[in-house]
Amino acid sequence: MDAPLYLRPRVEPPLASLLQDAPFLHALCDALGSPLNVLLPEVVAENAERFRSVYRRHHLAGRVYFAHKANRSSALVRRLAACDPAAVGIDVASLDELRHALGCGFTGDRVMATGPKDRDFLWLAARVGATVNLDSAGELEQLAHLVRRHGLGRVDVLVRLSEFESDAGPTGSGTRVLSRRSRFGTPVGRSGEVWEALERYADAVELTGLAYHLDTTAPEEKARALERCVLLMDECRGRGLRPRAVDIGGGFGVGYVDDAGEWERWTTALSEAVLGVRPSLTWRGHGYGLRNEGGTVRGTAALYPAHRSVAGPGYLDALLSRPAPALGRPPATLLLEHLNDLYVEPGRALVDQCGLSLARVLDVRPTEEGPARHLVRLGMNAGDVSLEEHGVLVDPVLLPRDGGGDGRRPEPSGGGPVGVHLVGNLCLEADLITRRLVYLPRLPCAGDLLAFVNTAGYVMDFHAHRAQRQPVARTVAVARGEGAWRWCPDEDYWPLTDPQGVPS
Amino acid sequence: MRYDTITEAIGNTPLVRIDPSVHGLRHIDLFAKLEMLNPFGSVKDRPAWFMARPHLQQGAGGDGTVVELSSGNTAKALALLAGMHGLRFRSVTNRMRVPEIKELLLLLGAEIEELPGQSECLDPTDTDDPLTRFHQALSEPDSTYLHTDQYFNPRNVEAHATGTGPEIVKDLDGRVPDWFIACVGTAGSSTGVARVLREHDPRVRVLGLVADKADFIPGIRTIDEVHQVGLFDPATYDSLTSVTSQDAIDGMVTLIRRCGLLSGPTGGAAYRGAVRHLESVDAELAGTGSRRTAVFIVCDRAESYLSYVRRRRPELLGAARRGHSAAALTDGEVRAEGRAVEVGEARRWMADGDPRPLVVDLRGPHAYAALHIEGSVNIVDELFEELVRTGLPFSKRTPVLLACPVGEKSLRYAALLTRMGHPDVRSLAGGVVAWRDAGAPLVRE
Repeated sequence: MDAPLYLRPRVEPPLASLLQDAPFLHALCDALGSPLNVLLPEVVAENAERFRSVYRRHHLAGRVYFAHKANRSSALVRRLAACDPAAVGIDVASLDELRHALGCGFTGDRVMATGPKDRDFLWLAARVGATVNLDSAGELEQLAHLVRRHGLGRVDVLVRLSEFESDAGPTGSGTRVLSRRSRFGTPVGRSGEVWEALERYADAVELTGLAYHLDTTAPEEKARALERCVLLMDECRGRGLRPRAVDIGGGFGVGYVDDAGEWERWTTALSEAVLGVRPSLTWRGHGYGLRNEGGTVRGTAALYPAHRSVAGPGYLDALLSRPAPALGRPPATLLLEHLNDLYVEPGRALVDQCGLSLARVLDVRPTEEGPARHLVRLGMNAGDVSLEEHGVLVDPVLLPRDGGGDGRRPEPSGGGPVGVHLVGNLCLEADLITRRLVYLPRLPCAGDLLAFVNTAGYVMDFHAHRAQRQPVARTVAVARGEGAWRWCPDEDYWPLTDPQGVPS
Repeated sequence: MRYDTITEAIGNTPLVRIDPSVHGLRHIDLFAKLEMLNPFGSVKDRPAWFMARPHLQQGAGGDGTVVELSSGNTAKALALLAGMHGLRFRSVTNRMRVPEIKELLLLLGAEIEELPGQSECLDPTDTDDPLTRFHQALSEPDSTYLHTDQYFNPRNVEAHATGTGPEIVKDLDGRVPDWFIACVGTAGSSTGVARVLREHDPRVRVLGLVADKADFIPGIRTIDEVHQVGLFDPATYDSLTSVTSQDAIDGMVTLIRRCGLLSGPTGGAAYRGAVRHLESVDAELAGTGSRRTAVFIVCDRAESYLSYVRRRRPELLGAARRGHSAAALTDGEVRAEGRAVEVGEARRWMADGDPRPLVVDLRGPHAYAALHIEGSVNIVDELFEELVRTGLPFSKRTPVLLACPVGEKSLRYAALLTRMGHPDVRSLAGGVVAWRDAGAPLVRE
């Protein structure tokens, strides 16, 4: 067998001590079934406090807004609601998230409404005094009409901007930093339309800040956007508006894998496997976006950078401390000197180390490739952890049924490290928990648990468990009646009765 | 030497022996091929000219743009060549991490596009990688782009097979060195030179140097990145080994300070990598009476990498600061000697003081222009630091009120100026933020 290529998770206290109590976790799973997500609400408050300490270091005022979409949990939201109201708020991206946040104890003035919004969402946000993070001049207009028609109070709004790459204006620094096109926000080049709309609807809305969200891990792009926002804030003040905060969104990242060396060895091995100079590391030679073209690796690995030396609050600190591209002073200094508050909207980074997903081992069998590679079937499917959806590669922690390798149970197949493919409980070839060959310190047995660290915190977000609380599709049964279609809810349909309950 | 055009000065670079007392190898003669003495400053002058020449002759006088994925020396050479032929040059890269090089390229008239970073919320089904889009743009009909394609263009290798390689053999009096050591970037120089040397004498050993995976050395790729280079063929190298940025800087300092060679970090990495590898060879040669020869390439010069060095080894650039410095005061000294005034008291002082205090705003000029205390003057903290180093910038008869965002920096300067003998310097407590929060007036210009 090849030397095992581990990608062992970063586990910090108190999650580490929870993982050491295997009997407790087994008892939980015995009672509640597999899969099971386990959350540590106290950690989310500690993470918020770490972000706050970065604020303090740079003398910055403003709030940390939890991006609710990262996790649908009530426990996490309630724990954050109990934090200092001036320090911690919540960013909601759907009507149901807003209702949930209010129900968990957040008052309207601590809520930021972002993302695509329908009228109901806008109305409730305006009604409870939330800040609305406006996507476009059109949305501003829609909000202003709602405010006027329903006699609501003036609504605090942020304007979300995008496309900072063009260099017109005072921040031109010679080079063009390309950015991924975003569906959200108003291009900076068209911000004039928004300022005019703000002035036109001054009775209904009040500009309290500017926002951006860039989908990137690169601090260069963010520093540029941040600096541009600081200058645009002054432009707004020059027009008589009174914005106070710059909202720099999220994207601070999480380091999932503890050891940089493990991550480097694995990614190098992936390239080599794609080139064919070493055995495949994945189910059916999947290349995670890399391909071999005549002996040269092409493409980009669709992988989350699982080991990150700087992530979360550390990333925020680094972003605030690096010199801005045009003015040269660090963003923290610019924000402070221009008398701006800072808003951040971490999601993933705020739920770091907040939980784990447990899965029961159902079946273990060798593959055709021989005893070195086994199939391990779990009481869980790919949708329950979404590791592949997010390109997050990290090993699960093996929690033996008997609580540890203390010799009370015979060691299976020599007991050494083993490569396994983790497959799910769906009758579907594609249901792999991870496409990667996962190395475990020894072969698991049916009844053991595998714990995926951090997944209950973030990776379960959009795909698993309806994190964003958008409504799920209802199903109805329809039948052709006399001259018209009739319908009933799927669960109410019986072949004997008419959908409307009239005997047929 | 008289030339009609600067391109004639490309190539024929010197091969200089490194003094054995510097490298310490007793049985090996180590030579540096000084590619930094090419007219545009690097080894890339050769392939740039070789690859671009057909395009330039075709496209001269048109409205075409030469494009290349380059973070440095290839871009530099191509920008100059394009300019000479009336064409534009655009560099597309995600590796431009050295600010001086960026600025130098701008000076040369290059347009620079930096590729976006990776997505934070990954979409594994996304096929839209920036480089693919770049290549699509190049192949659009009516495109006026002239793509030199250094990572795949065989003329990159040819430039070295017809120039660099034969020059080394000629300067060694027709012999081939026993070792050739090259950093792997585009793999052009190592592949081209290795081919020629092997043709002369297949016993030559070729050592390729790549950057440590977590590290960054300008012009060198990591072991993963070389697999993305079309010209890279593992069979070219007898061995591949990695070097770190610390090796690169150590080697660079040795070449500069001890050998009079104004090498950049890539040359430094080649030197360190060469010596480290050859030390064991040298030990085996002891007592055999035989001598060996080794050649490495000094790719470019030091001047463009000062910020690279400053970031990693600041002690190499910074002599200790002299004179008065606010940073030298301890927190206790600042608290003991710095005098602060609250907003209300400051306003009364400014209205009724005799003489009235000079208000100095230490923030950046943009922040000052946007909003400031009426009547204040703006001296940015960085400039103020320079001013006070050599003496008091104000008369002792002028009272001074210092203001910064939150009153921390200004208190430090107030303490320093007091220590320097100014009788009445005060710091605005809570700074401009407190001033605003107290509702005191701020004006904009």
